[in-house]
Amino acid sequence: MLEVERIRVSYGAAPAISEVSLRIGAGELACVVGPNGAGKTTLINAIAGLHRIEAGALKLDGRDLSHLPRHAFCGEGIAIVPEGRRLFAGMSVRENLELGSYRRAARARRAESLERVCEVFPILLERLEQPAGTLSGGQQQMLAIGRALMARPRLLLLDEPSLGLAPAVVLAVFNVIKEINAGGVAVLLVEQNVALALEIAARAYVLEEGRITAEGRPQELLAQPHIRRAYLG
Amino acid sequence: MRQRALAGFAAAGLTLSAVPFFGLPAFYESFLYLVFHWIVLAVSWNIFSGYSGYFSFGHGAFFGAGMYTTATLATKADVPFLWTLPAAALVAALFGIALGAVAFRVRRLRGELFALLTLAVTFVLATIVLNTPIDGGPGLVLSAVPLPAIGPSPSSTFYLLGLALALATLWIAREVQRSKLGTGLFAIHDDEDVAEVLGVPTYRYKLAAFGLSCGLAGVAGGIQAMFISYVTVGETFSIAVPLYVVLMSVLGGSRHWFGPAVGAAGVTALLYAFTAGDYAVAGRAAVGLILILVILFLPEGIFGQAVRALERRRVSVAPAIDAAELPAPTAAPPAEGKTLLEARGLSKAFRGVQALAGVDLEVRRGEILGLVGPNGSGKSTLINVVSGHFRPDSGRILFEGRDLAALEAHRIARTGLARTYQIPRPFAHLSVLENVALPAMFGRDALPRAEAESEARRWLAFTGLAAKAAALPGELNLHQRKFLELARALASRPGLLLLDEVFSGLTHVEIDDAIRLIRAIRAQGATIVFVEHVIRAVMELTDRIVVLSYGRVIAEGDPRAVMREPDVVAAYLGKPHA
Repeated sequence: MLEVERIRVSYGAAPAISEVSLRIGAGELACVVGPNGAGKTTLINAIAGLHRIEAGALKLDGRDLSHLPRHAFCGEGIAIVPEGRRLFAGMSVRENLELGSYRRAARARRAESLERVCEVFPILLERLEQPAGTLSGGQQQMLAIGRALMARPRLLLLDEPSLGLAPAVVLAVFNVIKEINAGGVAVLLVEQNVALALEIAARAYVLEEGRITAEGRPQELLAQPHIRRAYLG
Repeated sequence: MRQRALAGFAAAGLTLSAVPFFGLPAFYESFLYLVFHWIVLAVSWNIFSGYSGYFSFGHGAFFGAGMYTTATLATKADVPFLWTLPAAALVAALFGIALGAVAFRVRRLRGELFALLTLAVTFVLATIVLNTPIDGGPGLVLSAVPLPAIGPSPSSTFYLLGLALALATLWIAREVQRSKLGTGLFAIHDDEDVAEVLGVPTYRYKLAAFGLSCGLAGVAGGIQAMFISYVTVGETFSIAVPLYVVLMSVLGGSRHWFGPAVGAAGVTALLYAFTAGDYAVAGRAAVGLILILVILFLPEGIFGQAVRALERRRVSVAPAIDAAELPAPTAAPPAEGKTLLEARGLSKAFRGVQALAGVDLEVRRGEILGLVGPNGSGKSTLINVVSGHFRPDSGRILFEGRDLAALEAHRIARTGLARTYQIPRPFAHLSVLENVALPAMFGRDALPRAEAESEARRWLAFTGLAAKAAALPGELNLHQRKFLELARALASRPGLLLLDEVFSGLTHVEIDDAIRLIRAIRAQGATIVFVEHVIRAVMELTDRIVVLSYGRVIAEGDPRAVMREPDVVAAYLGKPHA
């Protein structure tokens, strides 16, 4: 479904990622792991259309998206939970969620989506009318995930969804991701909680210093001692 | 450095003050006076608004206050013209300080609201002046007021007065930028809350800079009143003054003391170059076009961009620091076990949500205390209340015997308490080095700049960021920004360090590094409280943990025992910790 072919993205003169290729099949759950500064966030933002791709191609169902304007990515059914949450702090929780379903196809199913998000994160139901800025850090993370789910995406991009969440909520979030994926949504997950990510992913990529250095099924990667040591301890 | 600059200013002053004695036509002297006049207005505006980011559209009001002070004193009280100028400065400055004393107390009055407020004040002042005996409608005529003969002719006298004031204003702007006040203002520009928490007395600094800025505008107004010799409300309080001043500063570059002077000279020259013929409209259009181009291509202004380009060229290589050279321990080695911080009955509610519902907490000297709990249980609020960002609704916080609950955040910082933020909040326009030097300048030890910078370099080496000293925070990745946050908290050499999720988002290996780092910090004598969800780090580092849920302490004690308590497992962990 998604094919990333040898893309390069730079900040100024230095390339942040180069020659990066990855594929996600329809309904597949893939994860990218790697140290901080390797370019994971750059990669996921590039797929969401937030960075200009200098070389290579980004194809969704065979169509090249690399020259599409940013806002059009949402219309293609791609939703992202960005690093640092990026909520609309002055708007209420409800408004943030509703903005997530801005796309026409998603708007029709807004009520249903909202119900679903509140089922997953009951705390958001309690706080629906409160400004998003008054939520705690972890609750904001839940809201950011909820907002992405409201878009009813075909491809969900998650940048460190477990960041700042209590262990019990991390488990819940990963269950949700699994469920969403089981419902046919393709997922690309960037996550530092490597053990959990590899547990639910069908395919994993290791990104180091801007390049993919290993890929395969999680069990295959875990069989390599240096990967185990670096990411699982 | 200062001697050389002083010599430069003196040389410029002497050279320029010789100009009237070469028999220049009066027209040119008047034109140059106007250039100086606008330089004073733009540079003085910049001292507060450019440095701190509080855009004021009220510079016309303070300028006008100075104008009417001079006009009133000179025409109605027969005060000699030069003696009216200090009065003009004083009236404008006091007016600004009075406005600031109200406006700066309101946290919401930032950004565009402050700009609108200052604009509104201009109109209010204009109405008052127009409808009271100060003016009353017809305007004030100063043509009968004697002008002291400073230069060979009246126009040269204005030229010399303008020159003197322009040089003085530039000198003040330069000194402010290089002083602690300037550093504080630039920090306020980027993140006022963080500046306050790091020890910058934001309220006082804003007031001081605003007063200075208004006072200088007042003097410029006083001289201008005499120059045009006929003062009317319509001309004085027009929107043109603040608009031109903002335009000039932005055009020249508002992050450098000299930038607005470049903008002021350029814009004035352009406007007058065209008034000679019938090109006034074309002149304004040209200024508009130039402004658009500058905003598009030189966002830091003409001068700002030039300075940056020069700095790029001579990229200073940071002096190598021996990584093994760790900072010396903090002043007092910890006497372990005694209470360092004690909170009793802390409560805080936000719009009906009870974030803290009577929390009792004890932090012992020299320990590492873990603060865990479900999302929204009040952990970050607790840090925000202890560090002074929020006032508690009730309860007491005793730190080394002092009650912090009523202290302002910058005073709390000076008692030796530092914190980090969950999502790093560096000052975006300050270099990594300046970010870390700031708390050393404003913290408990209040180091002078040079010492603060060497202190900062040590902490950057300690956190592995030495190579990034000259970079801007935006160039760092998340891991590095987290460590920058840590270095900034450490640079004030706090006795108590509050860490909000330093480990989140780090990989396994990076967590190992961070654990070593925190152990090293403790070994130097700091007491640490950290909020964390990375359970491995909590178990490896903490001596004790406290578990919060719904704003209350539900468990505390030995980490291993607490993590097995059924309440904690249910509320927080989801499954027992192995």
